[in-house]
Amino acid sequence: MKESPIGTSSGGALEGRRLEGMIVRKVERELYEVFIGPQHPGSGHMRIIVRLDGDVIVEADPDIGYVHRTMEKLSEVREWLKPIPLLERMTIIDACNVTLPYVNALEKLMDKSPPPRASYLRVLLCEINRIASHLYGMGIFGVFLGHSTIYMWAFGDREVFVELAEILTGARLTHTYPIPGGVRRDMPQDFPEMARRAVRYMRRRLEEYRKIFVDNPVIVKRLDGVGVISKSKAAELGIVGPNVRASGIKYDVRLVEPYEVYDELDFEIPVFEEGDSLARTWVRVEEIKQSLNIIEQAVEWLERHKGEHIIPVEDYNKLPKLHKEVYEKTGRVKLLPIHASMKIPPGKALARGEMGRGEIVYYVESDGGTTPYRVRVVTPSARNAMVFKYIIPGHRLMDLPAIYGSIDYFPPESDR
Amino acid sequence: MIGVVLETLLYIIAYPPLWQVLIVGFAGALLVAMVAIWFERKAAARVQRRIGPYWASPRLGGFMTIVADMIRYVTQQVIIPFTVDRLAFIVTPVAVLVITILPLAFVPLSPHEIYWPVASMEYSLLIALALTTLPPLLTVVLGWASSNKFSVIGSLRESYVITAYELVAILALLAPAAATLSFNIAYIVEAQHPIKWFAILNPLAFLAAFLAILMSTSAFPFEIPESEHEVVAGPYTEYSGILYALNMGGGYIRRFIYAMLVALVFLGGWAPYTPGSGPLTGFIVPSLIVLIKACLIVFAMSFLRSVYGRYRLDQALDAAWRLALPLALLGLGWSIVLAYVNLI
Amino acid sequence: MKPEELAELLKNTLGGLAKEVTLWKGYVEVLVDVDSVVTVANKLKELGFDHVKSVTASDYPKESKIRVTYHVSSYLREDLAKVILGLSVDLPRDNPVMESLTGVWRSSEFQEREVYEFFGVTFRGHPDLRPLLLIPELAEKKVLRKDFIVKEESIYEGVPHRYQ
Repeated sequence: MKESPIGTSSGGALEGRRLEGMIVRKVERELYEVFIGPQHPGSGHMRIIVRLDGDVIVEADPDIGYVHRTMEKLSEVREWLKPIPLLERMTIIDACNVTLPYVNALEKLMDKSPPPRASYLRVLLCEINRIASHLYGMGIFGVFLGHSTIYMWAFGDREVFVELAEILTGARLTHTYPIPGGVRRDMPQDFPEMARRAVRYMRRRLEEYRKIFVDNPVIVKRLDGVGVISKSKAAELGIVGPNVRASGIKYDVRLVEPYEVYDELDFEIPVFEEGDSLARTWVRVEEIKQSLNIIEQAVEWLERHKGEHIIPVEDYNKLPKLHKEVYEKTGRVKLLPIHASMKIPPGKALARGEMGRGEIVYYVESDGGTTPYRVRVVTPSARNAMVFKYIIPGHRLMDLPAIYGSIDYFPPESDR
Repeated sequence: MIGVVLETLLYIIAYPPLWQVLIVGFAGALLVAMVAIWFERKAAARVQRRIGPYWASPRLGGFMTIVADMIRYVTQQVIIPFTVDRLAFIVTPVAVLVITILPLAFVPLSPHEIYWPVASMEYSLLIALALTTLPPLLTVVLGWASSNKFSVIGSLRESYVITAYELVAILALLAPAAATLSFNIAYIVEAQHPIKWFAILNPLAFLAAFLAILMSTSAFPFEIPESEHEVVAGPYTEYSGILYALNMGGGYIRRFIYAMLVALVFLGGWAPYTPGSGPLTGFIVPSLIVLIKACLIVFAMSFLRSVYGRYRLDQALDAAWRLALPLALLGLGWSIVLAYVNLI
Repeated sequence: MKPEELAELLKNTLGGLAKEVTLWKGYVEVLVDVDSVVTVANKLKELGFDHVKSVTASDYPKESKIRVTYHVSSYLREDLAKVILGLSVDLPRDNPVMESLTGVWRSSEFQEREVYEFFGVTFRGHPDLRPLLLIPELAEKKVLRKDFIVKEESIYEGVPHRYQ
């Protein structure tokens, strides 16, 4: 080789630049530095700077920020309703779960609460999105391990749920479904039958997945005992989602602080004790089964309570005649221009929700104006990034995709 | 008149070095590699509930897609980075291809002596096995020449894998020689006439040979030096154009050559067909039978892609030393028992 | 545990260190002094709060202060898992320096790096303080403060008019 590949400091771009308070360390010269960088088939939109001693990873440094889209700064210059489609793009595959806590925070500040039918519709879409997100994660995980069959199957079956969401909201991925007070569209008449067929189909397919992926001897050998996160370490690092439920901590926002109508529904939270990658995969498969149960219950309630409102009654009374006609005939809510410049009373609110990947926290601060004063969002992948730095060292280089795929890290969500 | 022309044509084609090395060797390997790639893509697609190659030639099941791919690779620009070691970079893939096909120049594809490419077949099995151990060393050279960290990691993995499987392959493929007490492949094939194939008499050695071939040619579940998700393409990262096609196809061609050897010593060669004299029935037809048996083995290996993931490096080495090597030794021992009992 | 009970518990445990306890919608906020942040954090950790959910900062240019808030909660204690506590510190806007809480709660490491690059708040004692998401040229400008205005451009800027 013509030149030595070993670098001298963490992050080559910082050579010579020192911001105030910044700390720069030198790297020992015997370690072999590999940039699993943004242009790599196995890295996603991020870079992992890995320092190897032979085949064993000594240090792994996540270098994120390649898809930072300045969502917090943008929310400060947009009116109250406009951050909903903006924040949805953080994790577009899980769209309803991402925007629902923001809408909940606005409702807390405005002292509004949605009618029950709107809550059930929100829960229905949330669970459909959760299943689609878990299938996406499983597919990508399979491809990281070289198993392309589960990738094709998972993405093909995800199509069923994406089409269900399209029938409900009109868009495959970019739903923008919840608004402060309710939802934007009602359920079509033939939706319950289609939802039940999708649920039955998915239950059959989960059996096939178990045979070819979860019980596959190569996959089990690759994942068993890899990336073990013990219970105390999980609590210390503050990781979220199925990762923490695979380490023995029973924590799910739908259980701890139920929002919407989750306290009326009957479902379980799967918890495993081992804390390795295989346990994390099992948690996700079990969660898909529980989400299928929730969809059945929600669809049944919605069938029984037909003809109720999906926005609060006082908002309905303020609609002019044409809007009321459209609402009665087609079940769509057309927002008035006054919603674009509504003012929210001053205060601070914190709302959280459970996405497919974990817990998302919104901190919204209002000073009484038409735009938010401060919106702070902490996504589950931003909190799971600690796993790279603290759990990966000590494993072999080929365990990196096994751990990366099992924590289901999604770079656009982490970079916001 | 026409008969004389046809006869001379047949005589020229059936000239052993020409037929064996150039036609069955190069052209046959190319054709089998293309069919193997097509079968792999199509079988994986069917398992994954999609169609696979289709639009280029719907009636043929999309086979022309592979031909189109080959034409593209031949006409694509070859990009050679500045920092590589030029001689090694360009010469090594070509050398790998040539050395891979060499074993075919030393094996017999017919029982009659006039159709043998070299004068004596006394040690043909040994020579063929010795020649198959050369190409992986050149893969390590590829990794060094590319001057890229991922290539170095990939070729280091290849060197570990070489150390593990080579012993298994040689022991497993020598088991028939221990049973028949000779290294002469023509004699080994005669001994398996008509249905006493070694794969049935000595399944342990056959299984060990199958595993060893999977490991050596980076087939799933052992696709380790070129695993796409930690090292971008292993030693083959910096290649493009025709050199890329040579590298990627090289895996399939090596599989084919190994499969020819396995078909000769384990699956009975051209048995149960007794070749007559004359170039057609004595040479061309037996070699086609061996070719078809080799194809079946290659297809069986290709199918594993759709079912298995990829092993980790130390788990694969573990499988080689703790599972495949005892299996090969047991196969060798069983062959000695067979020879003792005078079964053959 | 209800928010009111948590406010009572805080007043009893922290005593004079807590300058203000407010109940907002969704969390209970405790305002402390810059010098006593680490002591208060250690006392909260003994109470059972074991991880940090979010580290955020708000810029108030009119009062010339930056308020840094740590939202903490608990995984291992059932009664504390239902509430979220906000530990707030007010820092002067022209020299925002405070002690890092990574020694107490390790889960605040990456988020303190974010507050460092977006607001310019220096955390003393942080093991690895460098920009997390932004490039250094942008991090120097302290992007999320209120006086950094992003110039919005029209898409027609620089495009010559072609219509009459």
